[in-house]
Amino acid sequence: MKQISCEHETDVIQALRSGEWTKELRLHLAECQDCSQALHLAEALHEEARRAKILCNPPDPHWILQRSRRIAREIAMRRMARLLAAMRILAAVYVVAATGWFLRGYAAFQYREVASAMHGAAREFALMGAIVAAVCVFAGLWPILRESSESGAR
Amino acid sequence: MEDARTIAAWITPGRELTAADEEGFRRLYEATSRPLWGYLQHASGRPDVADDLLQETYCKFLLRRAPAMDEAQTRSYLFRIATNLLHNRYRSRDDNAREEPAEYGADTDEDARLDVQEAMRHLKPRERELLWLAYVEGMSHAEIAAATGLGTMSIRILLYRARQKASEFLRPQRTKS
Repeated sequence: MKQISCEHETDVIQALRSGEWTKELRLHLAECQDCSQALHLAEALHEEARRAKILCNPPDPHWILQRSRRIAREIAMRRMARLLAAMRILAAVYVVAATGWFLRGYAAFQYREVASAMHGAAREFALMGAIVAAVCVFAGLWPILRESSESGAR
Repeated sequence: MEDARTIAAWITPGRELTAADEEGFRRLYEATSRPLWGYLQHASGRPDVADDLLQETYCKFLLRRAPAMDEAQTRSYLFRIATNLLHNRYRSRDDNAREEPAEYGADTDEDARLDVQEAMRHLKPRERELLWLAYVEGMSHAEIAAATGLGTMSIRILLYRARQKASEFLRPQRTKS
């Protein structure tokens, strides 16, 4: 494979950064066109970096930290809002299904028989309702419990 | 350098910020913000863009809840975020061409400064990034690969080409086209 740059280039750059030049490296630099080109460019860029440091006036870290905390709070709020929306849809579906089931039962039986029919299916219906309610409660509590356990671990 | 849990705790909603949190972040910020700003300013060619992207970089760093990292990894991670933000900006604004450089004030070596700035104007953003990371930050090829998302093997070739291109503008005997 054709060598495209000198293997000592990294050493030259490190020496420029640290100011520690070995005699061998100086001798190599005098002979190697690649390394002298790299050094010339690196010196020019270091000069740019020095000017940039003078110009640099970074914002207060307190402000950045507060901004990050605000964004994190907004993300958490959005996540909770999405969860609440999903739970509202689930609740609506549940109400529609329960109404449908009730109306179907009501239509199928005479009025006098509705009570006894419902009585027969009441246990199954109540169990299904309890399971759906438990799932909804758990889904609502899950992010809160997870957040609390993460805070507790810290 | 702070560990990942400490960093995540700084931005946990509902948790009060303590003086130790502030001090921890300030240490991290002071150790990394100036080199990062220099990189952003050089790659974008604009101090105002560098200011904006510097803030974005730290916000993203805090919000991503990165895994535990040592000092070098944190530095590399910050440069990676900054590089991604620069690329997002290039994509959204289509301003790959380097904008007019800012005035740095009085200078003793004005010709050399103009040479560097002209060289940078003729380079692609990716080439400016590579040169800065290699020659100013002193990163190894592997570190540059981690910071830019390029392959380690490609760095050597791309860096060589970028250096050749930039050096043409630094030669005192060059003729301006």
